Amino acid sequence: MPIKILSVDDSRTIRLIVGRTLRPYDCVLCEAANGEEGLATAAREKPDIILLDVTMPVMDGVTMLTKLKEDPELKAIPVIMLTAESGRDNVIHIARLGVRDYLVKPFKEDQLIDKVGRIVPLKKKEAAAPVAAPATAA
Amino acid sequence: MQDGASYQELSRRYGFAPKLESASRLTQLVSRQDSDLDEITKVIDKDPVLRKRLLRVANPDAENEIEYTVETVEDALMRNGMGCVLVLAMSTPLAQALTKSFQTMLSLKLEDIDRNAAEPLQGEHLLGTISFSGKIEGRVYLRMNLASARDIAAGILGISPGELTDTNEITDAAGELLNIMTGNFKSNLCDAGLDCRLQTPEVKLSTDFQTPSVPGGGLEHLAFRAGKIQLFVDVTANPWSD
Repeated sequence: MPIKILSVDDSRTIRLIVGRTLRPYDCVLCEAANGEEGLATAAREKPDIILLDVTMPVMDGVTMLTKLKEDPELKAIPVIMLTAESGRDNVIHIARLGVRDYLVKPFKEDQLIDKVGRIVPLKKKEAAAPVAAPATAA
Repeated sequence: MQDGASYQELSRRYGFAPKLESASRLTQLVSRQDSDLDEITKVIDKDPVLRKRLLRVANPDAENEIEYTVETVEDALMRNGMGCVLVLAMSTPLAQALTKSFQTMLSLKLEDIDRNAAEPLQGEHLLGTISFSGKIEGRVYLRMNLASARDIAAGILGISPGELTDTNEITDAAGELLNIMTGNFKSNLCDAGLDCRLQTPEVKLSTDFQTPSVPGGGLEHLAFRAGKIQLFVDVTANPWSD
């Protein structure tokens, strides 16, 4: 079974970067553009890990994280914050709510792989099998 | 997992890059209305980047350092006042975040250049704005020409500019750049006790070059260059509005 990863970010650019970064790995990427959509997608898809932005319209990442941790069915899903905000009080508050890791934007693609790979087993996709050479007539 | 760790422990655990101590210290000092001018002078004098930028702000008409008429930090502070210093302190993490974004997301070296040395923007351009409010009120403006916006979006997405067919991808990439800059900048403000919230960025095509200053606050104009790409950033803020 491939790893299921949920990316919650209002920026399509970030979701595209996350998708490009994870493309070589055996995983399925689900996306949501705000916390409300993120909660609904988490409940439906039961991802193995969530990548979560903070500042988003409709519902921000801190509110989504709070609600996620209140939900007995979802609270065990590990969360990595993926945000440009690293202010002291914000980081402490988020850590107390319960996150597994925190990656500050801008980030390098290998940093994301490293952090995700420490929480879930990321395996590279197997290379496509070579096309069999046509049998030669004896 | 409940966590009672301190910020220092969390910062180590998460592998955060070290913060700009001088900018944080300066923001703390200036945010107080009774701040000590001598202490502010010392903090700026010790940091070559802050010193250089303050002198540039104090000599707006100079083409280069040889033409500076204000040559000391003390004179610059007397001439420009505290509002200017606060904006200067705030825009330092903002400039650093922008430079780092270019390095990380585009593999480009972005240089902080003199506004007078930049080729002026003309006509329709991409304008991104983001407001912040709370103990400090203000706004950040990001401007670039359409070719620069296209090059940036393509670079971030790892495709060639010609492959970009959707205008939304260009505006979204500019919005995210603005978001990253101001997120880092907001963290510095909050750490200095100036708690504030960021609004969602707004990015649009514009022909408006006006940057209205927040009443009673400071305004700083920054310019950056990476090859053919030029970016113009204006920051205006007032921590003493209430």
